[in-house]
Amino acid sequence: MDALPGSGAFCAVESCQERSAIDRLLVSVVDDDGSVRESLPDLLKQFGLAARAFSSAEEFLVSDCVDQTRCLLLDVAMPGMTGPDLQRELIRRRQAIPIIFITADRDMIVRQRLIEQGAVECLFKPFSDTTLLEAIDSALYPK
Amino acid sequence: MEVRPEPASAEIKHLQRCINDLVSLLALPAIWSGSSPSQIVHTLLDTLTRMLRLDLASVRLKHPVGEAPVEIVRVAQLRGPMPPEHEICEALSHSLGDHSRKWPPLLRSLLGDGDVSIVLLPLGLQGELGVIVAAAEREDFPRQTEALLLNVAANQACIGLQEARLRSQQKRIADQLDQRVAQRTAELAAAEERWRSVFENSAIGVVLTDLNGRFLAANPVYEKMLGYSEKELQKLSFLDVTLEEYLESNRTLVGELLEGKRQQFQIEKQYRRKNGSLIWVRNNVSLVPGTERVPRFLMALSEDITERRRVEEALNKARSELAHVSRVTSLGALTASIAHEVNQPLSGIITNASTCLRMLATDPPQVEGARETARRTIRDGNRMSEVITRLRALFSKKEPTTESVNLNDAVLDVIALSIVELQKNRVMLRPELADDLPLVTGDRVQLQQVILNLLRNGSDAMSTVEDRPRQLVIRTERDEGDRVRLTVQDAGVGFDPQAADRLFDAFYTTKGDGMGIGLSVSRSIVERHHGRLWATLNDGPGAAFSFSIPRTPQGLARADGIRNIDASAVTGPGAA
Repeated sequence: MDALPGSGAFCAVESCQERSAIDRLLVSVVDDDGSVRESLPDLLKQFGLAARAFSSAEEFLVSDCVDQTRCLLLDVAMPGMTGPDLQRELIRRRQAIPIIFITADRDMIVRQRLIEQGAVECLFKPFSDTTLLEAIDSALYPK
Repeated sequence: MEVRPEPASAEIKHLQRCINDLVSLLALPAIWSGSSPSQIVHTLLDTLTRMLRLDLASVRLKHPVGEAPVEIVRVAQLRGPMPPEHEICEALSHSLGDHSRKWPPLLRSLLGDGDVSIVLLPLGLQGELGVIVAAAEREDFPRQTEALLLNVAANQACIGLQEARLRSQQKRIADQLDQRVAQRTAELAAAEERWRSVFENSAIGVVLTDLNGRFLAANPVYEKMLGYSEKELQKLSFLDVTLEEYLESNRTLVGELLEGKRQQFQIEKQYRRKNGSLIWVRNNVSLVPGTERVPRFLMALSEDITERRRVEEALNKARSELAHVSRVTSLGALTASIAHEVNQPLSGIITNASTCLRMLATDPPQVEGARETARRTIRDGNRMSEVITRLRALFSKKEPTTESVNLNDAVLDVIALSIVELQKNRVMLRPELADDLPLVTGDRVQLQQVILNLLRNGSDAMSTVEDRPRQLVIRTERDEGDRVRLTVQDAGVGFDPQAADRLFDAFYTTKGDGMGIGLSVSRSIVERHHGRLWATLNDGPGAAFSFSIPRTPQGLARADGIRNIDASAVTGPGAA
C-alpha cells in the first residue's frame, strides 16, 4: 500500500487530509449497491479526493455535483437508468466527465464496448485499491 | 281241421311226441336268450323244419323302424331241386301279395314242381313283427297237433323276437349313452388338454398354491423364472422365494383375499431365484373357489418385470439428471447475476479492508475510521457467506428432502438471487406475499427451482415489451382445500391458448434459446408435491403461472415418495 503510483497528484496522499474540501478533486460514485456507496467514498477520501455517492443515475443527474465531478465511478447494471444510459446522457449534455465503470459481471465483451464508447476504464468488482488508484490517475491526468 | 282216427298206441305215441315237441318249443326262449332276431329266426326255422318235416319254412320279419322286411327261408334237405331263395320269396309274394295281414291262414299253392300246403302264422297279435310261412307237400299238413305246435312256436318266436327287439333297443340306447359318454370324455380330455396347454405354454408364469402358500403346481415359465424344478418347488411356499421386505404386505393381501375383502390383488415384489439372484415380478393373485373334490387354492399369474423395472429406473435416473441439467442450465443463465451477487459483497470487503489499512497507516492512525471499516468488512463477509450458502443449495444435486417450508421465505431467497437479473431486464418485481401463509411440506430447493423458473419465464416473456411497464407480480396466498397457492403474473406476450396443453411438455418452447424443459420439470416437481401447476391468460396482456400444493401432502412422509422424477411413475413396490 505504501508503493503508490508515481503520479504527481498523489505523491503525498497522507497529507491530503489537511487540504480543504474545496481544494480536493471530486469523484462521484453511482451504484445501487449500498456497500459500494458506503465503502468507496471512504477509500477515495484516503486517496485525498473528495467523494460523493449516489444510488442511481437519476439521483446523480439532478444533484448539484455533475459540474464539479472530475471523475465518475459508475456501476453498469442498475434498475432504471443504467450506467451506459448515463454515459450517453452525459455525452448528450456535453458533460465530458471521465468515467470509470465498475461492474460485478466479468464480461470482457461488455468491457470492450464500454471502453470503445469512451470510458476510461472498466473495473471488475472486486478490485484492489491500487487498481482503482491507477484508473483514477488515468482519468484525472490523461496522457 | 281234419282229424283221422288212429290206433290208440300210435295216438299215444303221437301225443307223446307232440308233448316232447312242445317242451322243445317252450325251451326255445331259453336258448334264444341274448340272441339277435335273425339268430332266433334261424333257430326257429331249423326247429320247425325238422319237427314238422316241412318242405319249406320262411319268416318274413318286419323291421321295427320301417325298413324293408327281412326274409329268411329254409328248404328241407330231402326235397328235390328247389328254386333259389329269392325266387321262392318272389313266388310267395306273388301268390300272397305284399300285405301279409291280408294273407289267408292256409292255402295250397304251386311252389317249385308241386303243390304245397302253406300255413301262414302272424308274429304278434296283428302280425306286426312279421309272418311265419310253413309249407309241406303233405296233404294232411297241418295236422291238429302240428297246428298247435306251429301256433306255440309262433308265440314263442314272438316273445323271443320282442325280447330281442327290446334288448336291441336297450342296447341301442346303451350304445348311444356309451357313445355320448365317450364323446363327452373326449371333449373333457380335449378341454383339459387345452387348459393344460395354456398352463404349460403361457407366456407368463402361472402358479397354484394352497392357502398356506405351498406350491401345488407351476408352469414351465414360472419354474424358469425362479430356476427351480417343479419337484423342488413343491417343497417350498411362495413365502420362501419372496424377498423379506415384501412378506408382510403380501401376507396381509392374501389374508384379505381369504377373508373375502377383495376378489384379487396385484403385487409388485422381488423373488430370490434358486441361484440367489433377484428378479422383479408383478403378480395377479386370486382365490379359486373350491369344488366338492378340490379345496380352495390360490392362483397367481406372474410376470417377470425385471427388465421393465431396470428401464424405468434408468429412465428415472435420466429424468433426474435432466432435472439437474435444467437446474444448472437455468442457473447458468443467471451466472452473471450470481457473479454479481458474490462480487458485490466481495468488492465491499476489499474496499473496506484497503481503507482500514490506509487509516491505520496514517500518523496518527485513524482508529475510529479503521474500526468502522473493519466492522463493515465483517458484515459484508457474513452477507457473502449467506449468498454462498443459498447458491450451494441451489447447485447441489442432492436427493430431495422433505421438510417444512415457508413458501414466503423460499420466494424471498429466489428474489434475492434473481433480482439483479430482473433489474437488468428492466422488470419491476412486485411481491404480494400473504402474511398468514401456512408452512408446506416438501423440498425447499425443488420448490425454489420452480419459483425461479416461473420468474425467469415471466421475465423472458416481457423482454420485447416496450409500450408498458414490465411488471412481474409474485403472489402467495392460501388456497381452498388447505392448500397454498403461488402465482407469477407477467405482462408479457402471453401464449397461444391452443398450445396451453403443450406448455408443460418437455422440449416444447416458445423461446429461441430455451430447451423447453423448465416448465416440464417444474410441473413434475409440483406434482411430486401432490400439487398442480397451470397457466392462465390475463384479462390484459400477459399470462399467469400458478401452482397450488397441499399443506401436508399424504405420502410425502414416505422416504421414496418423491424420489422419482415423474409423479406418475411412482409405484410403491408393495402397492396392490
